[in-house]
Amino acid sequence: MARTLMRFTGVGGQGVLLAGEIFAAAKIKSGGYGLKTATYTSQVRGGPTVVDITLDDDEIFYPYANDGEIDFMLSVAQVSYNSFKGGVSEGGTIVIEPNLITPTEEDRKKWNIVEIPIITIAKEEVGNVITQSVIALAIANTYMKAIDKETLVKTMLSKVPAKVHELNLKAYELGEKYALEAMNV
Amino acid sequence: MEMREIISTGNDLAAIAAVDAGCEFFGGYPITPSSEVMHTISDLLPKAGGAAIQMEDEIAGIAAAVGAAMSGVRSMTATSGPGVSLKAENLGLAQMAEVPLVLVNVMRGGPSTGLPTRVSQGDVRQARNPSHGDYRSITLCAGNLAECYTEVVRAFNLADRFMQPVIVLTDETLGHMHGKAMIPTVEEVKNSIVPRKTFDGAPEDYRPYGVGPDEAAVLNPMFKGYRYHFTGLHHDGKGFPTEEIETCRKLIQRLEDKVMMHTDELELNEEFMLDDFDGSEGEVLIVAYGSVSLAAKEAIRHLRADGIKAGLFRPITLWPSPADRMGELVKATKNVLCVELNIRQYTEEVERVSGRLDIEGLYKVNGRAISPYEIVNKVKEVF
Repeated sequence: MARTLMRFTGVGGQGVLLAGEIFAAAKIKSGGYGLKTATYTSQVRGGPTVVDITLDDDEIFYPYANDGEIDFMLSVAQVSYNSFKGGVSEGGTIVIEPNLITPTEEDRKKWNIVEIPIITIAKEEVGNVITQSVIALAIANTYMKAIDKETLVKTMLSKVPAKVHELNLKAYELGEKYALEAMNV
Repeated sequence: MEMREIISTGNDLAAIAAVDAGCEFFGGYPITPSSEVMHTISDLLPKAGGAAIQMEDEIAGIAAAVGAAMSGVRSMTATSGPGVSLKAENLGLAQMAEVPLVLVNVMRGGPSTGLPTRVSQGDVRQARNPSHGDYRSITLCAGNLAECYTEVVRAFNLADRFMQPVIVLTDETLGHMHGKAMIPTVEEVKNSIVPRKTFDGAPEDYRPYGVGPDEAAVLNPMFKGYRYHFTGLHHDGKGFPTEEIETCRKLIQRLEDKVMMHTDELELNEEFMLDDFDGSEGEVLIVAYGSVSLAAKEAIRHLRADGIKAGLFRPITLWPSPADRMGELVKATKNVLCVELNIRQYTEEVERVSGRLDIEGLYKVNGRAISPYEIVNKVKEVF
């Protein structure tokens, strides 16, 4: 497999970090290499946060995504979307939360912009806003096919408390369903 | 060596390493980007029979750690650059009183409070002499996740061998990056522990600082019947203050010589893709350390793919510097590029050991990492 670069962006406190950790760990458990880095500001909440995920079968040294090489980005905040979209390669996929982000017309020409109301799904269909990171994980993996679903879900469950396993499984399935619908599969 | 795979962050690995290396006390104060070292060790140490305490500030944090080390146990503190500035006085005391201690500095942008959440290597020069007076700092610098573990283990052994603080530099990138590290098993680490020397003769014959001219003090654990005195003042063999001319001279000369006459026990470097270097035209030697070396390695892959013979020299022990080996390599290669997340802090040392003033540099001080492409472009631009 060639190198897969994904970027998750939001604002501090939304919990975008967890999805990155799950991806990296699942890739390592599958025998490859995975790295997650997070960049944030000194604002505790509300500052733009970016998580870069690098997955490869060969050893990865530099842990950040190089601008222009990112295959997939998911964003749940306008400020972060604006700051970090530039890293996505032309024609790459950007999944946005349409209630929180308004892309420009130029953005739509440059990238494959996909609108999935991640936070609404988490709040209303799953019933807990925290599950947005698992919905994001499912969407990213459905698009990127980076890790086999069984390994990814198993790794995800190992990172969340047992009492919320059902909730997170539901979040994963919903994320996958919405992604497949958006892909017209 | 038997190894194990662990998926973790640099900060967590530093904490786990301390516990595995037999650290029994942690004193500190949380500071971005090192706080997770304290969070994790606070969780682990009590379960391992040790203690971790959050003190009222950085100064008290290291003071508690120095006190614990004086009592005879392995002790650690962790911080970032602003914390080191505050801890400097106690680092000086530990140098003078010869108290072994490990200080992990997860570097962020400076000076002052600087850029709290951003990466930097701005504390390299500070690590060499954090406080006033003559002594030789021992400073190790982790260059990947695994070394956030192994260098902390090594720091504990070196602190007990040389009886002085040992600084482990990491940075925000390494501290927070999450991935795979291959590290020695706990059993391997336990077997590698070399505890500090003790004196077991008659208590009346015990002179903890009355050692040979290039030897470290022999400080017995407290409450075992061996009495002596700790001070930051110049002191005699028993540790009591003195201004006697020869005693003062010998003490400070010994602090110098106990390190500088045994640098072979400290030196550790990585030479990456230097095997085929033979001094021929067009070879490019990159000198980098810490997280920057990760970008340098990716850059070298790209440069090699473009037909440029590039390689990396990476000091892992920064201070004392690997003067002979680094000097030899830099003298033998025409094109040398130093890459640092500061302005020339280690380049000046590379110049000193090689006697060369024509070394190229790539420096960044805006809190952002140096990317592999920036290094590739710089090499193509200047050589």
